[in-house]
Amino acid sequence: MTRGARSVVALWLAVLAACGTWLARDLAVTTDLSAFLPPSATPTQRILLGQLRDGATARLVLIGLQGDSSAALAQTSMALARRLKASGLFAYVANGDSGTLRQEQAFLFEHRYVLSPAVRPERFSIEGLKAALAETYGLLGSPAGVLVRPTLSSDPTGEMRQILARLTPTEGPDSRDGVWFSHDGRRALLVAQTRAPAFDALAQGRAVRAIQAAYAATRAGAGSLLLSGPGVFAARIHDTVESEIWRLSALGAVLVLGILYAVYRSAAMLAASFLPVVSGIVVGVTTVALGFGKVHGITLGFGVTLIGEAIDYPTYLFMQARAGEPLADALARIRPTLNLAVLTTVFGALAMVFSSFAGLAQLGVLTVAGVATAGLTTRWVLPALVPVRLGSSVPGTPFSVLSRAVNFAPRLRWVAALLVIAAFGLLAWKHDRLWNDDISSLTPVPESAKQLDQSLRHELGAPSLRYLVLARGQSRQQVLQASETAAGWLRDAVRKGWLAGFDVPSTYLPSRVTQERRQVALPPREVLAGRLDAALADSPFRSGGFAPFLDAVARARSAPPLELRSFAGTALAVKIDAQLFRNEDGWNALATLRGVEAPAELAREASRHGQEFIDLKTESNRLVSTYRDRALWCVALGLLGIFVLLCLTIRNVRRAARVIAPILAAVVLDVALLLLLGQRLSLFNLVALLLVVGVGLNYALFFDRCHADEDERARTQRSLLVCAATTLSAFGCLAVSRIPVLHAIGLTVTLGAAWSLFLAAVFAHRPEAGGSPV
Amino acid sequence: MTSGTKAIANAAIALCAAIVLSAAASPAAIDAQGLMKMLASVESATASYVETRYSPLLKSPLVSRGTLSYRRPNWLEEHVQSPRDERFVLQGERLTIENASRSVTVNAGSAGGIAALIEGVRATRAGDLAALERDFQVTASGTRERWQLRLQPRTPALTQYVRDITISGSRARIQTIEVLEASGDRTVMEVQESLP
Repeated sequence: MTRGARSVVALWLAVLAACGTWLARDLAVTTDLSAFLPPSATPTQRILLGQLRDGATARLVLIGLQGDSSAALAQTSMALARRLKASGLFAYVANGDSGTLRQEQAFLFEHRYVLSPAVRPERFSIEGLKAALAETYGLLGSPAGVLVRPTLSSDPTGEMRQILARLTPTEGPDSRDGVWFSHDGRRALLVAQTRAPAFDALAQGRAVRAIQAAYAATRAGAGSLLLSGPGVFAARIHDTVESEIWRLSALGAVLVLGILYAVYRSAAMLAASFLPVVSGIVVGVTTVALGFGKVHGITLGFGVTLIGEAIDYPTYLFMQARAGEPLADALARIRPTLNLAVLTTVFGALAMVFSSFAGLAQLGVLTVAGVATAGLTTRWVLPALVPVRLGSSVPGTPFSVLSRAVNFAPRLRWVAALLVIAAFGLLAWKHDRLWNDDISSLTPVPESAKQLDQSLRHELGAPSLRYLVLARGQSRQQVLQASETAAGWLRDAVRKGWLAGFDVPSTYLPSRVTQERRQVALPPREVLAGRLDAALADSPFRSGGFAPFLDAVARARSAPPLELRSFAGTALAVKIDAQLFRNEDGWNALATLRGVEAPAELAREASRHGQEFIDLKTESNRLVSTYRDRALWCVALGLLGIFVLLCLTIRNVRRAARVIAPILAAVVLDVALLLLLGQRLSLFNLVALLLVVGVGLNYALFFDRCHADEDERARTQRSLLVCAATTLSAFGCLAVSRIPVLHAIGLTVTLGAAWSLFLAAVFAHRPEAGGSPV
Repeated sequence: MTSGTKAIANAAIALCAAIVLSAAASPAAIDAQGLMKMLASVESATASYVETRYSPLLKSPLVSRGTLSYRRPNWLEEHVQSPRDERFVLQGERLTIENASRSVTVNAGSAGGIAALIEGVRATRAGDLAALERDFQVTASGTRERWQLRLQPRTPALTQYVRDITISGSRARIQTIEVLEASGDRTVMEVQESLP
């Protein structure tokens, strides 16, 4: 190794070591979706993300226990709830045990005069008191009398009954042996709300495993555990997708290694051919992490895919060298083309770097830094590490057949042209059905899991994941008032059958105005005592027994209003916090809905009252579509940048067009074929198409370069064929996956790479030997 | 031995025999299983009742009237006719409460004390000892002709409302249901049962 080579290798190692050490210590990968949030996001979109991330509903795990006697299931339910509470992984765990219920009810009873919707001045007039006492007397003479009696002297007007009538959903779970059960009594039911955000599939996976472990430790005998909820789905999808990726990537890696070893016949060259792409990933990720603080998981996945183009760089170099030839000599021949291959990708990604979307900017930076590093590594480090071409000569036979095909390709110009025209026609015809806006269809949840979720959700009376009513305002009081308005029209909607039920924070925490109105409705002690005596005079009740009532009303009159902090330590606090919160747009009050039947009517009614009816599914799809549209712009700008770069370096607009045209045609054909195969495009296809553009441009550039002689042309052709073979094997493996998202990426790249190679060969320029060196 | 002494002796023997015989003829004390078996023989029953609540908060005891209907094994209706018309129907695990303004069906376990009390009457009527023993400590006393069943609540959901229930009756007929509430109130329900 020369001194120059030694210092290059030393510098390269130093950079890699620094980056590697830093990454090992400080790399923070996030899966927070806010990187997808456009800077122009609407408040609704911000609420959407907040809900997907921290929403109480999104963090809910629905738990069912079945397959044993109800007594045994109840026992397991109690033990499981205790363990889960102790685990610290859950914000709250509820199984309907009466202890928790009594604590909640004691709180509500204490504050009954500001919580009861029946508290109005007329209720505390002599007539009102008479009516309320008559009602209570009627109840006392029924089997319900036993329940009324204990609070008769402190709540003779029955305000607690008024509160409970609003709170108790009739469609909720049954209570048996002191815990929640399904109506058929076969399933004990629990709910747990994870502390971890809903999007964090790993943390959700931990929560799921904690529940399974706690169940295994507490189960009394036979029986099984059922789990559902968004986090459970996320964890499961993550596990399946991850194991599938590992399996298929391993298969792809074996194929790629096999192909490369077959052509190099040298372990050292094989190892060396991975150095550029690995260096690119390490430096690229470090750059993103330094620039943005955190690396998004999606950026990482997409970015590594895009840098994957760099696996081709050493192939171009190694295949160009004759056996025993110094790599530096081979490099000298292809250097201009290789530089251009790297630069075009860098230019293509620049538009993303300057995107205002954090996610796209990260992806751009990762691609630029990664590909540039891979290019530099190929250019400087490989010739230093592997001074001469090792291994035997490339076996010629398989290539001679392929080479003949490549040489024949230009005769297919007209066929190719017709295909491209037909593809354009198809795209124009189907342009409105191009995109798949339902991102959840890419990582589908099995039908059986959906059914289980529906049945558990129905049995528990748990809120819908999809719909919310949002009231926004400048202050907590303002949104609490809006929440009271929402409760009003939602009650009507329940009567009309538009939904089964709802939950609003103002039920527990009425607005200050409402609380004060109720307080004002309470007469002073002496006045009330006088009226009560008058009301009692010709009633069946003895006077003198209702001092606790007079005390309670007097206390309620002068009590400070109920605040959020009054609920501290109760299970109600968790509930209110989840539905009443502040973000950068101000205060928000959410109504969760159950059993939504008529979303369109609810949306209309909400907007009539100045509130928003949110369909989380539609909104999240819209969000991803926005991101996708922006990415599409970046790709268009990137292509323009590449064209300008080609014009500047080649200094010949026609040749630049000839390099870029086959790629655009390949993309069009790729998309057309995907549509014919029944696919619709998503963000994932778009990223895959970016890789197709990167890889395809290299094919076109190398086909287009001028060769000194036929031998060199043959070597270039072989290098292209090897590059295409590795790309097709790696992504072909993904294309066979049954998971739609992996299938989509794999199929897009495989088809795209194949079309790119074909079209680059078809439209290849055949200058006379000894022409321009580019 | 004088005839007088003999007469006394005879009388004494006769008396002893009478005592022995009467002891043999007198009905044996009844246990819970025996009582339940007797009650369980009834397929259906209807009854009118008068219930009186004794409470320090009331000027005079509250008298309510209504009917009870039972169909074996798990349907019981208590129809209050005065002071206010209201029906409580327990069918298996579900309790329906119906009055002029509304009708609600809830799960018995979720309805707190009411359902457990109605279930206590239902289980007694059905002779369902296992069901009774889930919620109460059960003691039977008396005879077949005049028995008493004492139910002492065991679950916290019940003890917060009820201290003690005594149901008494004759043969397969229930005659009174007396409830001592945790509040100190006492209710006595007189039942006129007609068994088909």
